[in-house]
Amino acid sequence: MKRDRDEVFVEYTKSICPVCKVVVDGQVNLRDDKVYLRKRCPEHGQFEALVYGDARMYLDSARFNKPGTIPLTFQTEVRDGCPADCGLCPEHKQHACLGIIEVNTGCNLDCPICFADSGHQPDGYAISLEQCERMLDVFVASEGEAEVVMFSGGEPTIHRQILDFVDAAQARPIQAVNLNTNGIRLASDRAFVAALGERNRPGRAVNIYLQFDGFDERTHREIRGRDLRGIKQRALDNCAEVGLTVTLVAAVERGLNEHELGAIISHGLAHPAVRSVSFQPVTHSGRHTPFDPLTRLTNSDIIHLVARQRPDWFRAEDFFPVPCCFPTCRSITYLLTSGTPGTEEFAVVPIPRLLDVADHLDYVTNRVVPDPAVREALEKLWSASAFMGTDTTNVRLAQTAAALDCADACGVNLPEAVANLTDRAFMIVIQDFQDPYTLNVRQLMKCCVEEITPDGRLIPFCAYNSVGYREQVREQMSGVPVADVVPNALALRSMITDSPYGSKVAQHPDGVAAVRRVARDATNVGRRIR
Amino acid sequence: MTRSEPAADPKGCCAAVYGSDLLALLLGEAYHPGGASLTRRLAARLALASGERVLDVASGRGTSALLLAAEYGCTVTGVDLAGPNVEAATRVTRSVGLADQVRFRRGDAERLAVDSHSVDVVVCECAFCTFPDKPTAAGELARVLVPGGQLGLADVVAVPDRLPPELTGLGAWIACVADARPLDEYVALLAGAGLTTTHTERHDSAVTTMIDQIEARLTVLRLTAADQAAELGLDFARAPAVLAAARAAVADGVLGYALLTARKPGSGPG
Repeated sequence: MKRDRDEVFVEYTKSICPVCKVVVDGQVNLRDDKVYLRKRCPEHGQFEALVYGDARMYLDSARFNKPGTIPLTFQTEVRDGCPADCGLCPEHKQHACLGIIEVNTGCNLDCPICFADSGHQPDGYAISLEQCERMLDVFVASEGEAEVVMFSGGEPTIHRQILDFVDAAQARPIQAVNLNTNGIRLASDRAFVAALGERNRPGRAVNIYLQFDGFDERTHREIRGRDLRGIKQRALDNCAEVGLTVTLVAAVERGLNEHELGAIISHGLAHPAVRSVSFQPVTHSGRHTPFDPLTRLTNSDIIHLVARQRPDWFRAEDFFPVPCCFPTCRSITYLLTSGTPGTEEFAVVPIPRLLDVADHLDYVTNRVVPDPAVREALEKLWSASAFMGTDTTNVRLAQTAAALDCADACGVNLPEAVANLTDRAFMIVIQDFQDPYTLNVRQLMKCCVEEITPDGRLIPFCAYNSVGYREQVREQMSGVPVADVVPNALALRSMITDSPYGSKVAQHPDGVAAVRRVARDATNVGRRIR
Repeated sequence: MTRSEPAADPKGCCAAVYGSDLLALLLGEAYHPGGASLTRRLAARLALASGERVLDVASGRGTSALLLAAEYGCTVTGVDLAGPNVEAATRVTRSVGLADQVRFRRGDAERLAVDSHSVDVVVCECAFCTFPDKPTAAGELARVLVPGGQLGLADVVAVPDRLPPELTGLGAWIACVADARPLDEYVALLAGAGLTTTHTERHDSAVTTMIDQIEARLTVLRLTAADQAAELGLDFARAPAVLAAARAAVADGVLGYALLTARKPGSGPG
């Protein structure tokens, strides 16, 4: 008796083997209303991972996909195909909305979870001012007018020249600088915070991208290895004092802090420095705690959790996929707020309830765009380059408010009224970065978040973390051999061993760690049938 | 939500209100439950084809008519009771370059100035419930269709005698809801006009979404222009109870939204 399969096959793609990183064919299937990526390595067997927890939302997101923009220059050539040619190669489908410069590998923490595999390590690297300037120039050459550069690490605030780096970025046509930090220096060095505050000015915003994972002591100990609650609060207060805007960035892990999402939003709404919250399912690249790829958190899981934890403020339908990257990578909503959470007067209005975001950001089924100017404004808001406090975001929020569907004759000018609320607008971003398990070249090819490397490449963030580029760059920069990092997945336990940095690497039969090799291709490589 | 009582003439009231400031404030002028995606759903159920002649009854500001023309290639005539709506729809049609395919004019669903047997498909979204003389309106919709022609209806469905008092006692917007009927009553009304219902489906979540949108606008008004909105008749103190009652009615199946397609007997069009 023939049986039906228990899944619907929806996509054929390419991925990598999470152990040896060779490129392999992949298939995406819908099963039990969830979306899974499955692939097989000739050497290491079959792998499967959850990529989206809600199949309906996954399929519906396809229409929120806009044509990419071609960057001014490409840094590499097409030779071996995606993801081995990063980048950006001429086959890449999108320009860089956001460029990331990792200024060092050193950190003043040794977090159990760190996609960059950073910490108190003797053999890392730190870039020079000259290198930073060259990286910024590569970004500007590619973008012309660049939108946002993010300084990251390691811990960028412990780099001695970090303020010089900010100055170098601000001296170039780059609209905003983001500083990705654990907040330790911001909590204790007020002169440093003041120096950042001075640099935050019209047309050249500086935003703080502050790791902020929750309020339980356990959350702090398991993600960061230390109870940083007091430090986070002091960092926030110091930022508020000098007028720096802050994004709270939470790494969210299944079974750890997924219950704290509503509380993080609430905390952000109540703090004068905070204008946005970013939720990121823990990226199982680099260093992390053991996990099961089949039950990992995805964007739709986070959306449903937020809606469940704050049903008074959110529904899942308030979040919309971001069309500039691949729409399954990132979802965003904006709120208008008034008052202080917990008080009687406090009010929250998700902007998508005031105008039809779906109609404007639907590039596939909708052929009558209600208003091109509104679409343009919403495009800039539903983008990886959107950060609260930048001029672009402020202007686009005001334009969106002005587009509110309402006659002037009301006697109440609702659009103007809403525009007056946009200075307390609040953004919530949900971003699932890919890891060696979930990597899908379909998404990678349209990625708009790029790592700028010291040798002058722009490498999609998830390729950088998953395919072997991070290890390649670290080896080049430090002169110390770096093996490919392998996810600390429960099912891989027998195949992996410790790296010197706390991450896992493949174990060879003779017990030594494997060597690195970026994306050798084991997929359709032009051979005839045998 | 508003202090005024339902007007004696719901159709006049609704048409007036659909052009009115207060409703524009609360719903937006181009509003109908489910938005463009439900219009597409209706079009798909009707299997609309390029070149078909479509009559959009109560076409509002023309959003659906333009969608049907642009995405399905239909020739669309929109009829609406409110002059400002017709003017606005005509303006937009010109600006998007669809004037060859779409036109609008004033008209009353109960006395359509449209030839008998002249259109392939009639579309009527969120309006039939407001027509006071429903049998006459149904007869008009049937009259203009060619034999074999189809009607696509999207509308509020309600069990009138079970609607919570918070809703039935309210003003103009609610006057529309208050004259909404259960789905099987719409089917019977159309049958009385000689139209055979071919498909029905519920979309009650469209009403929940609408309630969310009303709540969002109420909040914005309260935050920014409470005094002016109160002068227009908004009662902020009552609003939470009304919205809660509406949500409960949806949850209980007393209030909802439905799509329906029906066919006029005879050989197929074209």
